[in-house]
Amino acid sequence: MVDTKQFASEPKKDLLGVDGTLQLHSVLMNRYRITGVLGVGGMGSVYQARDLQFPSAERYVAVKEMLNLSQDPQLRTISLRNFEREANILAALSHPAIPTIHEYFTHKDRAYLVMEQINGKNLEEILNTLTESLPVDMVVQWAIDLCDVLNYLHDHDPPIIFRDMKPANIMIDSYGRLRLIDFGIARTFQVGEKGTMIGTEGYSAPEQYRGEATPQSDIYGLGATLHHSLTGRDPRLEAPFTFADRPIREANPDVPGQLDAIIMRALAFEPSQRFANVLEMKKLFEAVRYGASGGGSVAIDSGAAPAQEMDDWGSAEAGGIDVRWKFKVEEEIRASPIVHDGIVFFGAYDHNLWAIDTENGQMRWKYATEAGISTDPAIHKDGNMVVVGSDDYAVYAIDIRSGRENWKLMTQGPVRSSPTVAHGHVFFGSDDGHLYATRLTTGRSVWKYDAGVPIRSKPTVTDELIIFGAESGDVYAVDLSGQLKWRFKCKRNVISSPFIYEGLVYFGSFDYHLYAIDIKNGWSVWRYRTAKPVLSSPIVADEMVFFGSADGNVYALDAFGGRERWKFATENQVISSPVYADGAIYIASVDGKVYSLDAKKGKERWSFETNGPISGSPYVHEGVLYIGSTDQNLYALKA
Amino acid sequence: MDWLRRFLGLQPAESPVSESEDKAAPSTSPTAAAPAATPETDSSTDDTQPNRNATAQLNEDGRTRQLPPLETVTDTSSTGTRLNYGLHSDVGQVRDNNQDAMLSFTACMSGAGDDVSFGFFIVADGMGGHEDGEKASALATQIVARHVTNDIFLSLLRGETGGDSERPTIIEVLRNAVQKANEIVSTQVPDGGTTVTASAIMGHSAYIAHVGDSRAYLIARDSIEHVTRDHSLVQRLIELDQLTPEDAADHPQKNVLYRAIGQSDNIDVDAIIRQIPPEGYLMLCSDGLWNMLSNEEIHQTILKQYDNPQSAAQKLVALANERGGPDNITVILVQIPV
Repeated sequence: MVDTKQFASEPKKDLLGVDGTLQLHSVLMNRYRITGVLGVGGMGSVYQARDLQFPSAERYVAVKEMLNLSQDPQLRTISLRNFEREANILAALSHPAIPTIHEYFTHKDRAYLVMEQINGKNLEEILNTLTESLPVDMVVQWAIDLCDVLNYLHDHDPPIIFRDMKPANIMIDSYGRLRLIDFGIARTFQVGEKGTMIGTEGYSAPEQYRGEATPQSDIYGLGATLHHSLTGRDPRLEAPFTFADRPIREANPDVPGQLDAIIMRALAFEPSQRFANVLEMKKLFEAVRYGASGGGSVAIDSGAAPAQEMDDWGSAEAGGIDVRWKFKVEEEIRASPIVHDGIVFFGAYDHNLWAIDTENGQMRWKYATEAGISTDPAIHKDGNMVVVGSDDYAVYAIDIRSGRENWKLMTQGPVRSSPTVAHGHVFFGSDDGHLYATRLTTGRSVWKYDAGVPIRSKPTVTDELIIFGAESGDVYAVDLSGQLKWRFKCKRNVISSPFIYEGLVYFGSFDYHLYAIDIKNGWSVWRYRTAKPVLSSPIVADEMVFFGSADGNVYALDAFGGRERWKFATENQVISSPVYADGAIYIASVDGKVYSLDAKKGKERWSFETNGPISGSPYVHEGVLYIGSTDQNLYALKA
Repeated sequence: MDWLRRFLGLQPAESPVSESEDKAAPSTSPTAAAPAATPETDSSTDDTQPNRNATAQLNEDGRTRQLPPLETVTDTSSTGTRLNYGLHSDVGQVRDNNQDAMLSFTACMSGAGDDVSFGFFIVADGMGGHEDGEKASALATQIVARHVTNDIFLSLLRGETGGDSERPTIIEVLRNAVQKANEIVSTQVPDGGTTVTASAIMGHSAYIAHVGDSRAYLIARDSIEHVTRDHSLVQRLIELDQLTPEDAADHPQKNVLYRAIGQSDNIDVDAIIRQIPPEGYLMLCSDGLWNMLSNEEIHQTILKQYDNPQSAAQKLVALANERGGPDNITVILVQIPV
């Protein structure tokens, strides 16, 4: 628990008489005897002084001094005028959270403002020295008090914009009460008037950089101050206007969602999307502090949520996703479908490779292997063949039209690596520890590469290399003749299929990482750690790499540097691999749903729930999405 | 406290006592393909190769003058795997000292196995009064170079191909190098700050680490792309649609950076990899160049002397000077082999 008594501060004496500050015990205006320094700033110091007007009472005041150091007479006039303005503003105000002003005078080349002394520390000092987070209730109470004082200022005639809301300008006294200090740049507000750009970077609203300051700018500054207070992250050390990237509840799980929503709305880029006035904001803080009462629901008006970008995607709000057809097989579907020439092909645990008409969902044929199929089929167009591996140790090439076997190749273990067709060959791995290169026309093995452990990743083939992962955690690049070019070692197995883009090889590993390595030499270029294994195979589009993790999230990272662009949380592991089409990402989750996400922002466009977990990936073809589920159905949905 | 002014977006104060030394960091000669020692601390004089190095000439008034042009660093003997590059740094027309630092380092390895070209280039734009700006940029340049040499170049010489997840990634090496520079600049030059844009080139891959508003561009015959992101307030405002690029050009806070070396304890470093097309260019430059010339003008200038990067670099600097040269101008142009 934070004890507010620790906020009390002692004036310092050792700074007196140094660098042009007043001497200890010097007396101003025959009334204020200097007893210490409360603070030293660029324009002068703030002293503690004893008011000699009351000889028998120990009454202390704060004396704020402005030095007229500037050689430039114009600058000197301006700073003097600012100081006077502060004095005048303060003199006209009366509010418990605004220090009382006693007197204003000039002496030699200095100007002085005599104010009530606040026995406390400013919030910045407090935040800098705290080792634990501030109690949420205390921050909410300050928020209410700050709204109250800002409301007082904004309601003033003419309205006063504080313009510099930040922790350093908020004093907390030893009773935990706060005061707003430093009205140096506060100014009365006239609609449409552009003032000079000033304020504190990190806390200032975007429009203040254009020289505009309105009550909404103070709301932003308040939001920034509260964000800093609750997260402990100083916005001056972050890129401007990135509060949304540092979710309050991530830093401080004690913060209720409502409070988070209020602060984030105050921090909206567009002034029009913040609160219309501080009073509105204050009521919401009070509802958080004392519980909703009377005023009805405390729902945050989502007018704030920056203009929802639905409706580029018509079907989003329709709720019901258009299911064109579904086809039920005899066992779970764990792998992914592929579409070719009006037919969708997929394997199932019922041992069959199925061929279904994409138009009407009618079966064209099925081919029975001798065990379950957990690999994705591959198409050999010229040969009119579909190739698939089975747990029965074999790889089959089936004629697309007739569904009859062209050839079958036996390995020494179950085939769980999906085949890749390229260069007139089919490449696949087997649990027998080999990668096979097999001639497509004959099914004869040309060579095999011995990795010594099962290979379950689908090989990726370029003009020169075949790249695949193994259960040992090694990722191999072998040339087309089966000679090793390089090898990259992960800590745990690699099932994910590599994706190649702009000289980089992207893949996931059970060691929780997504890797990007140099295709020329296998050096790691960057990596990104998720919270669980990455089985999903990444894809790159729009200069982003997309993939799922068993931690339940779908991720989008910058393809060139690995920085997170967005992540989307599903309700269970994401083993499925993403598909990109027309600005959207399609991916499924073990939560049973297939999702359509906006590729740029990661916002959900729609989702469709099946009756069982999904481990396979969708296939999107001509506006239709095909997905198999462990509920034994293959679905054709309107993408 | 020039850098502070820069953070606050103010114009530089009346120039302090003029500097008598050029602070361009040492550039290894193009023929020094073998790994050179880590750059020396003080680069003000390099008597060994007076005509080849960017050594400043002093005028009677002690002001730095236009640097003598470097000899063209062109490899005409072979169109093989060697990097062809040019570089130039100049104080400009207004400032009294050059706070920019630059560094180049190249190696060409040929023999059995694959030929590999390696290059490492840095531009750093210092900020700070007295000599703090140039100290910061030179120091940051040295530290980044030292780390990259050790963790990437020497690793290359050790013939390490492939890799494993125990080793830091190249992006991590670059980020660490710049973070180290940040630590050391923060303690040794507390009143100085600097941008850093550094690139290691291996084959056609350019690995770029970046903090601040110096820039890296990818240039081909038919395109020019600015691949780094300025860490400036105006850029941030543009990204948020709060400001148009046109308004940004003469925004009073145009020079305000929200991220620079020596500014805070922790620094977030951008690091990316990009592929450069065969015969394409990587250009690194300080804001003294890009503030004065449009992308189109930069592209056209390079196209006019496409296979002569040294001449192109000098021409670019000369153009910026013709426009008034209000700031220090530094350009490094590296052409990737076929």
